[in-house]
Amino acid sequence: MNIFSEIYGAYFRAAASLLARRGKPLAESDIYKAVERHGFRDSALFLPKKLLPQKDNSDWGLLRKTENGFVPITKNPPPTILSGLQKSWLKAKLSDPRFALFLDDSEIERLSEKLKDVRPLYKPEHFRFFDRFNDGDDFPSPEYRAHFRALLSAVKSHEALMIDYLSGHGNAMNAIVLPLKFEYSAKNDKFRVYCRTVSNGVLRGGITINIGRIRTLKPTGKRFTKTAADNAAMNRFFSDRRASEPVTVYVKPERNAPERFLMEFANYEKRTERDPENGSLTVDIYYDRADETELLILLLSFGAAVEILAPKYFREQAAERVKKQAELLNKEKNSGY
Amino acid sequence: MSGFSELIKNFEKTRDYLRDFFIYGYKVRGDFDRKSARTYDDEKRRIESWLNGCLKYETSQRGRQTSISVDSGRISENPLYKAFYAKSFTDNDIKLHFLLLDILSDFESLTLKELIEKTDERFGILFEEQTVRNKLKEYADEGIVIAERRGKTACFSLCPDRVSDYLNELPGLSDAVKFYSAAGVLGVVGDSILKAADMENDLFFIKHNYIVHTLEDSLLPEIISAIEQKRFLALRTFSSRNGFPKENENFAVPMQVSISVQTGRRYLIAFIPQYKRFNSFRLDFLRAVKPGEICPDYDRIREKYDKNIVRCFGASFGERRETGNVTPLKVTFTADENTEPHIIQRLLREKRCGKLTRVSENLYELDIDVFDPMEPMHWIKTFIGRIKKLEGGSESARRMFFSDIKRMNEMYNGDSNEHIQ
Repeated sequence: MNIFSEIYGAYFRAAASLLARRGKPLAESDIYKAVERHGFRDSALFLPKKLLPQKDNSDWGLLRKTENGFVPITKNPPPTILSGLQKSWLKAKLSDPRFALFLDDSEIERLSEKLKDVRPLYKPEHFRFFDRFNDGDDFPSPEYRAHFRALLSAVKSHEALMIDYLSGHGNAMNAIVLPLKFEYSAKNDKFRVYCRTVSNGVLRGGITINIGRIRTLKPTGKRFTKTAADNAAMNRFFSDRRASEPVTVYVKPERNAPERFLMEFANYEKRTERDPENGSLTVDIYYDRADETELLILLLSFGAAVEILAPKYFREQAAERVKKQAELLNKEKNSGY
Repeated sequence: MSGFSELIKNFEKTRDYLRDFFIYGYKVRGDFDRKSARTYDDEKRRIESWLNGCLKYETSQRGRQTSISVDSGRISENPLYKAFYAKSFTDNDIKLHFLLLDILSDFESLTLKELIEKTDERFGILFEEQTVRNKLKEYADEGIVIAERRGKTACFSLCPDRVSDYLNELPGLSDAVKFYSAAGVLGVVGDSILKAADMENDLFFIKHNYIVHTLEDSLLPEIISAIEQKRFLALRTFSSRNGFPKENENFAVPMQVSISVQTGRRYLIAFIPQYKRFNSFRLDFLRAVKPGEICPDYDRIREKYDKNIVRCFGASFGERRETGNVTPLKVTFTADENTEPHIIQRLLREKRCGKLTRVSENLYELDIDVFDPMEPMHWIKTFIGRIKKLEGGSESARRMFFSDIKRMNEMYNGDSNEHIQ
């Protein structure tokens, strides 16, 4: 069982989508549309000539030309079979504590029954997540599950909810919000939900609510259109959170810092330039304002190998912490400092 | 145009390029000197085609840089999955796939001979027996086809499990697949289910998401299977430290895959019989793995591993020469209990291999008992500004910490500001 197999490939999917079409014969444009949808950027240069009948029979022979267009040579739409690999992956996910957030008990029971003879692709004990925070969400809690499922339903139906929750500082808050999408953090092992607040029936600013901090939620019956959470809306939501300028850092070529740095910051959008003379890096890191402290402490953890260059206020925060640190060690007798 | 294909036979070669474009966004054409210029051009062109929209081009002093630049918290699908969907195949492979599936859709089960006859009857194509037999064997292994014996004859039928049936019968399943396709282990398999159903993840974004891991996913099934079957594993590793590519072979007993959700690294922890010790191997530096014989001593080694792993802060079992010299690392933190309870919360939720004790008002002591005292230092430095005392561990770890603070203080608060813009 191997995921790197042509049966899951883009070309097979494009061909299957055409062979699944029954009724009206296909026009050449339908073939190009399927290639555009399922293929890669340049597939139109390679794939249509294998799908469309060619005089020299160099095509795959899957479509036949008729007076009205092209028709599949097959009798049935190609079956989309759940492969052994896919079933064994699903079986592995059944043991995940988050799985019950998505399916109800009867669905889980039915899926378990369907997969009873399938070996899981892996077991939880095959993996060790050694630096995941240990105060992750309480996924098995019935209350958490109920909140998650109510939010899931609201995200899909675009319905606003009245939510009572605790803020990060422990203050009781309440708001009418339209939940847009979920965010899951692998590091925090927590779900959050991106929302827009609703006031007088109109969508306002964006907020993020930790699902684990929700105390109650109630449907309001107020529904919005799909566009409230479409790609354009999400792009606006994200760009509102973005810091106005990137943080620029200098990564020194010592203790393998450039490699470690690039690996650790692989999840950030950034621009990197390397000095070929000494192997040092100058990197612009783009980040969300809400993650500023997280970014700052992460950069400090590289010690003297990483220097924050700009913006000034960000560098000053680092300088302040370092100053405080040096003073603490200086005050301590026999600290070794 | 001739000779170039968007599809690839070998994932390994492309994996290197994808990783370099993604992790080291600064490389220019000349940096890829391990391969010919034409190979570079072909690989780049392929990646451009797969990852349309995710590539960024910038002009640096050294030339044109190509990088894969994405904020992984803002994408709903890992663009690197596309590489898995680009496996090359022959004309016969695709013909056989759709024609055999079409015939088998109409019959409960057929013998090899019957299948060949029906393909000839329906499509006028007579395939060679060996070709069809091989394909059926491959599909039986993939779980697409079920092979059964009817007396002495093998019969073949289609696996009855359909993606659409599962998703229709279990309405919550599609949400689960959307989530796990984006988060968690081997998400690309979930993505393949979504693709088969013509769906996409429109619900979940993943923060702290190291999407580049997927490039190692092709190795995971073999590793997991070796752990499950208690087998030896031959590991072909590579490194390019100091710019010199180096390959090594290791013979190991695999124990666990260790994942860091904070640094983006994944390791295979394994016992090396030759050195009689545990070691960790970065998955992204594993070229290939090959299962070997069953390890007769597996359970005993595993027992030893379970005892040892609790003293592993991350993935390091420490240097052998340090054994016996390492005492628990003791770090004293200061945090104002009234105004900074979040610092104490951080210590509680992030500490590993240790015990946090309140020494007095606003003072907390963390004992970290690990094999390699150097390993927690990276995390400890995230508390810069609050570390009152650092004791125990190894002298080298303490020395490096103090030296770091001195240099940083000089860098940020002294005269050594040559890099300020």
